[in-house]
Amino acid sequence: MKRFFKIFKVAFRSINKNRTRSLLTMLGIIIGVGAVIMTISAGEGATLQVQNQISGLGTNLLMIQTKTEHKAGINVRMGRPIDKKDLDILQKNAVWMPKISPLVAIGAQAIGPNGYKSTTVYGVSFDYFFITSRAIELGEFFTEDDVKTAKKYCVIGATIREELFPGQDPIGRQIRIDKVPFTVVGLLTKEGSGGMGQDMDDIIVAPYTTIQNRLYGHQRGYNLIMASALSEDHIADAEIEAIELLRESHKINPDDEDDFDITTQIELQEITGNITGILTILLGAVASISLIVGGIGIMNIMLVSVTERTREIGTRLAIGARESDILSQFLIEAVVLSLVGGTIGVVFGFIGNQIIYKATGFFIPTAGYSILIGFGFSALVGVAFGYFPARKAAKLNPIDALRYE
Amino acid sequence: MPAKKVIETKNLSRVFKNGEIEVHALTDINMIIEQGEFVAIMGASGSGKSTLLHIIGCLDRATSGEYELDGVLVNSLNKNQLADVRNQKIGFIFQSYNLLSRTTALENVELPLIYDRTGQFTNAEELAKKALEQVGLANRIYHKTNELSGGQQQRVAIARALVNNPALILADEPTGNLDSKASIEIADLFVQLNNKGKTIVMITHEPEIAQFAKRMIYLRDGQIISDQLIENRSNKEFALKELEKPSTP
Repeated sequence: MKRFFKIFKVAFRSINKNRTRSLLTMLGIIIGVGAVIMTISAGEGATLQVQNQISGLGTNLLMIQTKTEHKAGINVRMGRPIDKKDLDILQKNAVWMPKISPLVAIGAQAIGPNGYKSTTVYGVSFDYFFITSRAIELGEFFTEDDVKTAKKYCVIGATIREELFPGQDPIGRQIRIDKVPFTVVGLLTKEGSGGMGQDMDDIIVAPYTTIQNRLYGHQRGYNLIMASALSEDHIADAEIEAIELLRESHKINPDDEDDFDITTQIELQEITGNITGILTILLGAVASISLIVGGIGIMNIMLVSVTERTREIGTRLAIGARESDILSQFLIEAVVLSLVGGTIGVVFGFIGNQIIYKATGFFIPTAGYSILIGFGFSALVGVAFGYFPARKAAKLNPIDALRYE
Repeated sequence: MPAKKVIETKNLSRVFKNGEIEVHALTDINMIIEQGEFVAIMGASGSGKSTLLHIIGCLDRATSGEYELDGVLVNSLNKNQLADVRNQKIGFIFQSYNLLSRTTALENVELPLIYDRTGQFTNAEELAKKALEQVGLANRIYHKTNELSGGQQQRVAIARALVNNPALILADEPTGNLDSKASIEIADLFVQLNNKGKTIVMITHEPEIAQFAKRMIYLRDGQIISDQLIENRSNKEFALKELEKPSTP
């Protein structure tokens, strides 16, 4: 151990002797590790943001849809549409799903006194606001009675308000959705962009009954039924319950498959988690290439250094250094170079994340494991690329080395 | 009681093979050097003196014959053992000093102790300072090598050769890079160290420097052609006086 310490000191001295060169050698590793940390952290940040938005979509969300199959480029509806009968059965019998709302969505043109906007109109029941945990900023939600009596009320998002009522109070005002007049009763609290980048405030919400009667052309069925489970722990229970009730409602034989799909928030999070995970790996892989390039830089300099210090190596061998001593010295030099470079890289990566956060507001948590990866990789690079030059140094013949000019 | 043998060679030969050609660098070298001797090895270039020094210094191995250094039969040692022998029994002095650049004299002198595996030198710094005192550089301990003159650098190298208290000091053209005056100073330093009991083997092709030694071995074509004691040894005063004489045309 004491010997190792001595050799370590020797290695450190010779690094310190060539400070400029050492720093330049480290630069490759610094950039490499910094890049790895920043990209991995950026991936993590993106994942975090998407996950946050998905949970913002509504707590403990379940979505029940007719099964569709992707055929020849289009989605073909395979099963019975989800309709009033399904909704009734769910509302009557469900234990684990206290809040249930159907959803019919249409693309429509909304026209106000000061402008118009193409948007999506969602027809829902009162429970929708609870399921999606959306809050009201001005006015109020329409009530369950409004839904039952198919009132022409609507609640609008912030984007719609900006287009239709710039700088005005929209409550109580009239808008026309595809020629049908609606009264604005509420304004939703701004939510920003969603998990897939869509504008969560470019939205009009109205009673589904009204939408079905007035705008949907009396088409049978809903786009989907949304429900929220009693709690996060009961999402699985809620899913099983929904499957049982719908199989009963659709009269599916025990041997046959479901003709509907249930998506839970957990699944949604898993899917987006997978996507962003792949993205992170991809970015990290690209960044690691720069780390490898940095390693080659270290190898280059170490090789030059071995040649340049041939006489020094000869002297050390002559006064009693073993081959292993020389090998360790150069290996330690390489590893110290890459580790110091790695440390500076970690600091730079961290600072870089902060700068991005300050500049764009995109929060990047510096992932703990990215530091470990960056650090581990740089040590590995040091050993891998330092070994060849170190071996070359150790295998020098002392007589030739002493004569070397 | 006979003096202890530091070097004993029996029929030592070294043959270099370069493709088909065999070069006999050394042929049947038999010599004994005892403790306390100061031997100068002389010879023209190509006479085999460097090869002999490399073998004596355990940097190279003889093709045939036996070599015993301070009671250790060197022929049978492996690479690591040779390194340890060099570390423990030999102090090297080179023509071009071979000091570490931009490093203090003290650190240079400590260098052999870094590779010591016997664990007997616990006070490396103290030993290095003592060695530097011995060569008259007590006031240059923390000077870096590039701040020292050639003669001073060679003194640092000599201190480095002394620091591990070796059985043998091997000098390869120690004055080759120095001017006459500095050469005489270094040769005088060797005499002083020899007077304190150090065994010194020095290769040189300067007769004035060789004249400082007690015994002279002359090599030609890889063989010893003369081996005799030096009768009228030179000394510092004499050599300096000789320097001042106008050179005869």
